Amino acid sequence: MRWRVIDYAENDAFMNMAIDEAVSEAVGAGASQPTIRFYGWNPSAVSIGYFQSLDNEVDSAACAREGVDIVRRRTGGGAVYHDTLGEITYSVIASEGLFPKDILASYREICGWIVDSLAILGLKAEFKPINDITLNGKKISGNAQTRRGGVLLQHGTVLHSVDVDRMFSLLRVPDEKIKDKMISSVKERVTSVAQENGEGRDSLYRSLVKGFTEGKTIEFGQLSKKEMSRAAWLSRTRYITEEWNRMR
Amino acid sequence: MMAQEKISGGKLVCIEAHAAGGKAARVKITGDFFLHPEDRISSLEAALVGVPLDMGEGELETRLQDALGDGILIGATCRDLARIFCKAVKK
Repeated sequence: MRWRVIDYAENDAFMNMAIDEAVSEAVGAGASQPTIRFYGWNPSAVSIGYFQSLDNEVDSAACAREGVDIVRRRTGGGAVYHDTLGEITYSVIASEGLFPKDILASYREICGWIVDSLAILGLKAEFKPINDITLNGKKISGNAQTRRGGVLLQHGTVLHSVDVDRMFSLLRVPDEKIKDKMISSVKERVTSVAQENGEGRDSLYRSLVKGFTEGKTIEFGQLSKKEMSRAAWLSRTRYITEEWNRMR
Repeated sequence: MMAQEKISGGKLVCIEAHAAGGKAARVKITGDFFLHPEDRISSLEAALVGVPLDMGEGELETRLQDALGDGILIGATCRDLARIFCKAVKK
């Protein structure tokens, strides 16, 4: 089994989600190899889970003021603030048959690659079901998976640095009266590579590439022209639209 | 009518229901849970439409379980959804 690895690149939120879907289609059709893709969000963005209500989760006016995009993912899970410089996102897109049928077991397997990556930096992280990775009890990575048409797509983020105050200036909380308390609580429950050992973002990226590819036959590749044109179409006709982003 | 709950060891589920003539007319289930396949959410919502507002949790759970079929709900169960729906319509 030969994996295609797509080197880190930054796109806007709509294109990022569209590329994950276009690659899933291509893998499902047998036109592309199983793929590991690394990417960033430029401009910074908030992504919400497939089942979330945008209005309940995101302060749209604050995002508009700050130039932060908002996009609905194809995967479940929660709202995430993706800071351009604060994290590295990955996606793993492959035939379902390459992974355990049990969904939690497949989270554990792919999240294990992140645990291995962080170990390279001397950080002893662990998978915390359902879909998180923690370090000394604090969350450092969130992940989400969908399976459609026989293809597994898992994407997730690894925090390099985190600005909880900025995150909460963009996300809504259930009760504004306890917002300050929630911010303090999240500050205690979230960590990042920079906070833990001061390693740079480049070091984190190198360790992720190593952790994800160790023991696999890989080749660094690019998105095909067909994947790119399909992604551009999906970005334009789905991911940027109000119909998609406000569907729940 | 709306109720939400963070499921212990699981995810947040919010259920909004509108009532007409003693029955649930429109239902929306949102939250940070996972459901495979994702479009099965429409079946779960449809299973709650038209039910009498005083239907018991057990019967609701059975309806939801039937609607879920071979789908997989992660971070919440049909029992959780039934309980939260009851909470919502009793408000």
